[in-house]
Amino acid sequence: MLWRTIRSMDVMVHSSSFLLPKIHQPAKTPANNYTLVVLNQHLPRFMPRLWAHAKLRICADGGANRIFYEMPQMTNDQDCETTRNRYIPEIIEGDMDSIRPEVKRFYSNQGSTISDKSHNQETTDLHKCISSIRHRTPSHEKSDLCVLVTGALGGRFDHEAANINVLYVFSDMRIIFLSDDCLIQLLPKTHQHEINIESSVEGPHCGLFPIGAPSTSTTTTGLKWNLSEAKMRFGSMISTSNIVDSEKVTVQSDADLLWTISLRNLT
Amino acid sequence: MPLPCRQQLRPGPNRQRLRQLGSTKKRKKGYAPSTRPLVKGSNLCFLFVKHKYTNSFRVPCSLLIISYSGSAPHRPRRPRHATSPPPGGDQSAIAPMPLPTMTHSSSFLLPSPPAEAAAAADAVAYAVIVLNQRLPRFASLLWTRAQLRVCADGGANRLFDGMPELHPGEDPDEVRARYKPDAIKGDMDSIRPEVKEFYSNLGAKIVDESHDQDTTDLHKCISFITRNPPGPDKANLCILVLGALGGRFDHEMGNINVLYRFSNIKIILLSDESLIFLLPKTHNHEILVDQSIEGPHCGLIPMGMPSSSSTTTGLRWNLDNTSMSYGGLVSTSNIVDDKKVMVTSDSDLIWTISLRNHT
Repeated sequence: MLWRTIRSMDVMVHSSSFLLPKIHQPAKTPANNYTLVVLNQHLPRFMPRLWAHAKLRICADGGANRIFYEMPQMTNDQDCETTRNRYIPEIIEGDMDSIRPEVKRFYSNQGSTISDKSHNQETTDLHKCISSIRHRTPSHEKSDLCVLVTGALGGRFDHEAANINVLYVFSDMRIIFLSDDCLIQLLPKTHQHEINIESSVEGPHCGLFPIGAPSTSTTTTGLKWNLSEAKMRFGSMISTSNIVDSEKVTVQSDADLLWTISLRNLT
Repeated sequence: MPLPCRQQLRPGPNRQRLRQLGSTKKRKKGYAPSTRPLVKGSNLCFLFVKHKYTNSFRVPCSLLIISYSGSAPHRPRRPRHATSPPPGGDQSAIAPMPLPTMTHSSSFLLPSPPAEAAAAADAVAYAVIVLNQRLPRFASLLWTRAQLRVCADGGANRLFDGMPELHPGEDPDEVRARYKPDAIKGDMDSIRPEVKEFYSNLGAKIVDESHDQDTTDLHKCISFITRNPPGPDKANLCILVLGALGGRFDHEMGNINVLYRFSNIKIILLSDESLIFLLPKTHNHEILVDQSIEGPHCGLIPMGMPSSSSTTTGLRWNLDNTSMSYGGLVSTSNIVDDKKVMVTSDSDLIWTISLRNHT
């Protein structure tokens, strides 16, 4: 670790501009290439906004059911059919044990690629999706890639734990989990982190968690209760119910941390 | 058979018996960090740190901390059942004794629990805590099981609104009077005034702790219950928590951290889909599974610390001195294959099992 302390770490910049209405993109936003992955839980109420930002939309198995049945309730369209024709995922991937036959048929007829991975029972549907996204993304586009995932939190606890593990397994990719209440993402220890806060859509509640292993030294700026080379560990101190106090939060740690921030009531 | 008391440690060859640290004495605010050896002649220490935005510390003696210094790599602890001799070749040393066994059961979810279990002298005394999330479908059942019921702040709103919904066709106020909490505790920034007044008029104790912003509402409720345990013996206490999972992620993490902070008390977090509880590394664990109410999906999660060795029986994919860590293997979507699951690990693990859909 000595050489790492001598040279300064690369800085990783984060922004939740994908939560803004598309026309309100700040001029200086890095050109992120968003991919959306929809898992099998209730859609967050701002799903149309995420869909608009994404260049590629993938439903993980039963996530397709959610788009089919719940999207019509989120739009002002006259009828369900209009909505369904507007929100067609490019890919439906997974072991196909949850997707309903009529949903599969509908999207297949509309041109969605059905990628049946039922032979692979070793990994979760999310793992399969992230793996195939990484596989199909050219190297020069990888640094801009940001994967937005809905439906990864809540539900069965072992599913949530497995989904969080995907953040650690693919720690070199930007992956953000979103729910109605909050977003979470991994802050790898290999980088210093700069998190730009869009206070119109997120905050003020936030937190930092050493889920994989304890941290012996974490330092932050921009929070109401900043950390200064603080130790963090489950069973001891972890940062919950903290408050964002600035437009920019910085985090540097000797351990991988999960960052979370609450979401405002977005429609 | 009485549940083993997690606070006790077996005296080793050169050790004094450790003091119980899960006392109910209120800690003074603002005390400085201190490190003090508690065991003569040993290299064990306890680190107490009071931080302004964390829970007050109660490190039970079953949770020992070997502090990490600077950038020293983490060395996983040797499993407690390893039998290599202590350094220095102490001739009087004996092999470590096997870990005590802790038994777990979800019988509180049965529609009618076994009569002999309820009548036994060492019967489990249940307490229920309701946090500020939608009530699970079995809330009424757990309420009936419990001898002490506490709402954490906005949990009272959920009880007020949610119980009549679970009993459609009945008069809402009659339902609310039947399912009234013994206490409502927390910083009172979420409870609606009319809800507070309603339960206060029915005799619920309102404990306003808004002066204490250092601990979560769940932490405050657990502390309250340990000071006012429902049964005669705190060793038989089991606290069931509704609304601790899902919702805001930092709340969920704070709630899980409470399991680690109070690792000497049986605390179970429940949602509609699953339940979770801590398996402290200080014990072998025997989990009795009733397939009529739970399973088959289960998992073991090394939250907060990797495990270099975990071993199980009774699962479809058992672990055999297996390492687990975030970024590596985490046991999820496992299947319970037996009425009894055994778990031993060198690290605290979170056990989770899915709940069956029974109305």
